Amino acid sequence: MISQLDRKLLRDLSRMKGQAIAVAVVMGCGLAMMIMARSLIHSLEDTRREYYEAHRFAELFAHLKRAPISVADRAATIPGIAAVQADISAQVTLDIAGLDEPASGLVRSLPDYSTPVLNRLFLRRGRWLQPGSRGQVLVGEAFADANQLQPGDSVVMLLNGRRQELRIAGIVLSPEFVFESRPGAALPDNRTYGIFWMTEEEVAAAFDLDGAFNHLTATLAPGAAARPVMAALDALLAPYGGRGCYSRADHPSHIRVSDEIRILQVLSIGFPVVFLSVAAFMTHAVLSRLLNLQREQIAILKAFGFASGQIGLHYLKFSVAMVAGGALLGTFGGIGLGHRLVGMYHLFFRFPDLHFRLDYLAVGIALVVGALAATAGVFGAVRRAMNLPPAEAMRPEPPASFRPAVVERLGIASLFSHSFRIAVRNIERRPAQAFFTIAGLALATALLIIPNCFRDSVEELLGFQWDVVQRQDINLGLFDPAHPSVVAELQHLPGVQSVEPFRSVPIRIRSGHRSRQLGLMGLPAGAGHSRVIEAGYHEIAMPTAGIVVSRKLAEVLGARPGDTLSVEVLEGEQRTHGLRLVGLADDLTGISAYMELHALNRLLQDGDRVSGASFTVDANRRRDFLHALKDIPKISWVGIKESLRENFRKTTAASINLIQSIYLTFATIVAFGVIYNNARISLAERARELATLRVIGFTQREVGGVLLTELILLAVLAVPIGLLLGTGFARGIIEMVNTETVRLPARITAHNYAFAVLTVTTASALSAMVVLRRVRRLNLVGALKAPE
Amino acid sequence: MFHVRGLTKTYGVGEAEVHALAGVDLDLNAGELIVLLGPSGSGKTTLLNNLGGLDVPTQGELRYRDLDLTQATPDELTRYRRDSVGFIFQFYNLIPSLTARENVGLITEIARDPMDPRSALELVNLGARLDHFPAQLSGGEQQRVAIARAIAKRPEVLLCDEPTGALDVRTGIVVLDAIERVNRELGTLTVIITHNAVMADMADRVIHFLDGRVHRESRNSNRVPPSTLRW
Repeated sequence: MISQLDRKLLRDLSRMKGQAIAVAVVMGCGLAMMIMARSLIHSLEDTRREYYEAHRFAELFAHLKRAPISVADRAATIPGIAAVQADISAQVTLDIAGLDEPASGLVRSLPDYSTPVLNRLFLRRGRWLQPGSRGQVLVGEAFADANQLQPGDSVVMLLNGRRQELRIAGIVLSPEFVFESRPGAALPDNRTYGIFWMTEEEVAAAFDLDGAFNHLTATLAPGAAARPVMAALDALLAPYGGRGCYSRADHPSHIRVSDEIRILQVLSIGFPVVFLSVAAFMTHAVLSRLLNLQREQIAILKAFGFASGQIGLHYLKFSVAMVAGGALLGTFGGIGLGHRLVGMYHLFFRFPDLHFRLDYLAVGIALVVGALAATAGVFGAVRRAMNLPPAEAMRPEPPASFRPAVVERLGIASLFSHSFRIAVRNIERRPAQAFFTIAGLALATALLIIPNCFRDSVEELLGFQWDVVQRQDINLGLFDPAHPSVVAELQHLPGVQSVEPFRSVPIRIRSGHRSRQLGLMGLPAGAGHSRVIEAGYHEIAMPTAGIVVSRKLAEVLGARPGDTLSVEVLEGEQRTHGLRLVGLADDLTGISAYMELHALNRLLQDGDRVSGASFTVDANRRRDFLHALKDIPKISWVGIKESLRENFRKTTAASINLIQSIYLTFATIVAFGVIYNNARISLAERARELATLRVIGFTQREVGGVLLTELILLAVLAVPIGLLLGTGFARGIIEMVNTETVRLPARITAHNYAFAVLTVTTASALSAMVVLRRVRRLNLVGALKAPE
Repeated sequence: MFHVRGLTKTYGVGEAEVHALAGVDLDLNAGELIVLLGPSGSGKTTLLNNLGGLDVPTQGELRYRDLDLTQATPDELTRYRRDSVGFIFQFYNLIPSLTARENVGLITEIARDPMDPRSALELVNLGARLDHFPAQLSGGEQQRVAIARAIAKRPEVLLCDEPTGALDVRTGIVVLDAIERVNRELGTLTVIITHNAVMADMADRVIHFLDGRVHRESRNSNRVPPSTLRW
């Protein structure tokens, strides 16, 4: 049996359903985003953990030149190591039918007659390699998908310079390559870089590594500390050209997934906080104004003996109803969007089975957060209702003490119309209400800025990366460092306009306890292709001594210009050098270190060497150029700017656009909700006053004008504040998306502002139309007869 | 039932100070029908609000049976209003979103020993309009719903503030009839505020109010039925 008071609640709610729905929708948007983002985090983290466990992903990783297999057995005896897996890892180039440029990749060996101890593969399609078979290969799914390769197709691979046709047995996934990307590349290009697995016998034969290995992975015994084990492993492998082992925290694929989770974490907090604050403001506005309209009813209830608590509870139920609606919308919306977005992750991350998993805890938290936001919004209003002395409530609201508005006190009133003066006085009379309205409108405007700022910042990043930093069209890398004369040879390839050499060498850079592994890039002084840029787009001239690193890398290492960094070269004789940090590069993707080419060669003491070159190529002759590269065996990889950019547009940009459009839709809904709500409440509050104006002879237009002038005045005050607020929010949120993988530059464009202003204006115009229609239907006699 | 001595009520301070009640002495007895007459601003409504526990006096004695209304806590006042007092206002003050039956039901749900809402509405001859919303009822009907709402809890006191103020003569008389019938049949102490002197004839006792004080008091030897009143 429903109580009469609850019946009143239901009827009141249905009468103000427009406002109630607007609040619920705004709250739903915030909760949906929170539930979506938290559930995606949950899905990624759980899937990754289960995948790592089930497929025994290693915890330590080491590359070396070559060691006999007995060394792996010795590694297994190091205290703290649970299991080791030794295999062969080698760079290869491929000739893929239908692909202009040579593709490159990594080939890994698999034990001929057993399952690997660690880093076990997952077979997506086809079958495993048959023991003792030759000429067969397993292909990583990302590369296979990008090139539409199926089991049974064949690929041509240059194995250590020998051209060999291989048949694809199966398409596989590996926990080591959840994110398949060329080492050091910030953006993936799955078309031209892939991972392959072949039998140990065949790889060993091709790379002259019979009975030997050059890659070792290991897991730690439960409770074992990583640091001493890594030191022992480094010591063991050093004589065999060990390049220093690293843990999962520095594993490139692992880092990428972690970075993505971190971005989601930022989004799962940043956006919902803004949305829920708007919802709180809106519930406050709706309820406090509803209470004003119901002063007499509250007084009656009190007069008849309802306790303050009962009345407070009654009005709290309004917000509970709106929260319940919002929570329902938010949960289903979040689940729907989550399903959609989890599909997007298939573009980047290769898991055997990544599906959406609802984070029930997030739903619980979302409910609590929503309830808190709504309760915080109505708390003051409800308390006021509870404290209203009944006799006072019985009188109509005390006639407001009007006074000449500020424009009148300034003596410029004659410049303004009658309705303008009424509007200004109204706003001045209730500063708190005006403040809340402005705050709601400003937040709604601010929300519109954030998603577009994301989009513009990604554009900026791409322009920076591919137009400012990289002026070349094509990069290529050699298998082994070579004499600079090789550059002169490459210059004669068809279509080459300019060529610049570089040298890249694997290093571990360290400052105090913090270290990172990366490629140290040696660039010629005055390089015109790969440029190193600092703040304000100034090019840094490569100094003849010292090292320049990414600002982010310096931050990670805790180093400042002038400090000496320890640089351990991870090839050749593996010496460690102290290098002065002389400059910081404001690059936006990855972490990098740069030196002048000759200075780097002097440091390495192995003569004048280059490890690759960059080219600008006549666009008309590019195919010929790429075709010619396919026949040069010493080339290990080729990177084409245009295809990277194109690929990025199809994957990363597409996904960012998807997220951006979801957020933008939400922000637009909220802007409309806030503005519509505000207009409706203003009308309800002032129905009597406006009806009186009509009775004494104002036209519909004039009465509508009074209301609209007020709305417009508030909007004019709120929009600039909203633009500033939005800029701040966007900067803050984007600042938090600052990872070693990518650092978005917060970019606020005039277009972004214009869009926000236009949306708010449109929402205002549509709300105004609704209000005007209602002004026409004002019940003049009824409104004047008696207060209900 | 009510014992009032030297009751004062002041609003505002300093120059703006207004003495709404300036020392009222009064006794009201069970079952009486009292008409409180006086011009606007004479303090009638303030007295009614004080009697009904909607407001507390500034000074003086105000007792309802054993309850000292000047010292009562907000909770005690709430309980007092809930159990003992019925209010009827000039503008009915019905809850617009509830039907006639529901408006009455709202009170019977929290009352100690209420009537059935239907019986209360039948008592004011509204048995046929149970499920109408206030907006669908005439002014007189709305006021009778308000009366039904006030009496449904079987209050000991019924306080009516200008109950016919917003009504025409004919409907006003129907409303007064209903109030008189409640007083007669249920024995409820009834106080009617009005500035319509004609109503004095239906009372047991008439109290004239002026400038926040009892100006004079008179007693009718026999009450006239409201149906014979004309104004």
